[in-house]
Amino acid sequence: VNQNKKVIIVPCSGIGKTYGTVSREAAYEVVEELRPEQAQLVALSLLVLGNDEARQAVAQNPAIAIDGCKLACASKMVAESGGRVAEEYAVLDVYRRYRQFKPRGIAELNEGGQQLAHALAEEVAANVDELLDAEGDQDA
Amino acid sequence: VSKFLEYTLDKFTFRVAADRFYSADGVWAKVEGAYILVGVSDFFQQHHGDVAFAEVAPAGTAVVAGEPFATIETIKVDIDLPCPLSGAIVEVNEALDFEAEIINQDPYGQGWLASIEATDWPADQGKLLDPQAYFEHMKAEAESISESK
Repeated sequence: VNQNKKVIIVPCSGIGKTYGTVSREAAYEVVEELRPEQAQLVALSLLVLGNDEARQAVAQNPAIAIDGCKLACASKMVAESGGRVAEEYAVLDVYRRYRQFKPRGIAELNEGGQQLAHALAEEVAANVDELLDAEGDQDA
Repeated sequence: VSKFLEYTLDKFTFRVAADRFYSADGVWAKVEGAYILVGVSDFFQQHHGDVAFAEVAPAGTAVVAGEPFATIETIKVDIDLPCPLSGAIVEVNEALDFEAEIINQDPYGQGWLASIEATDWPADQGKLLDPQAYFEHMKAEAESISESK
């Protein structure tokens, strides 16, 4: 695994939307619990503002965008910030794979929403590993 | 003559296909050969959001006008759709099983829900809204929703 690179996680920033909350909960779980050393959260709002540090992070590292709806703001802002969207997740598509985890709630997700966020986080974490392995192979 | 009636409110444009009839709930019914094709309106799909799953009663099921014949789960709500006519379902759109998003992408075409053999189409059609009437109904509903936000 490449020790220098990190995978940047950019979740949806949609407020008042269940699927946006799922995207953020999943992102938090990845960067705080599952892959704290390998993944880093970048707030979508910083990319929108053109924050130099955020732009640099997505420009120098592979990024995973987690979009809450079809507007795909996270993916678009990574690309517009000079970054490379290595993987793009849409929460609705993830839910279609885990129908048993029906998300409801906004500020606080129901149990289904939490389970969906966890399932998504597990997928993203596995993807982080793959991306860093690939980066390592390229550097070798 | 335009194929659609269009109404724009803020950033949203809603289209009403001019070749079919509608229930006030936003379910359309269109004569296709010997059967009646049914689906949901553009306003319905935009208002309720991205469709996650759509389940329609299987072929052979007897349906009654005003009674549920399908369930649509969107990112916002679960909706039991009332059937706009009475009869028997002869075919269900199988594409909905693996790409329910076609309801959002093409509500008047590929996103159809079911084909129904009507018991008494003239009678049921008489209870539905023609395109202009549904257009006015939809406009009022869209404005009411917009004002309440």
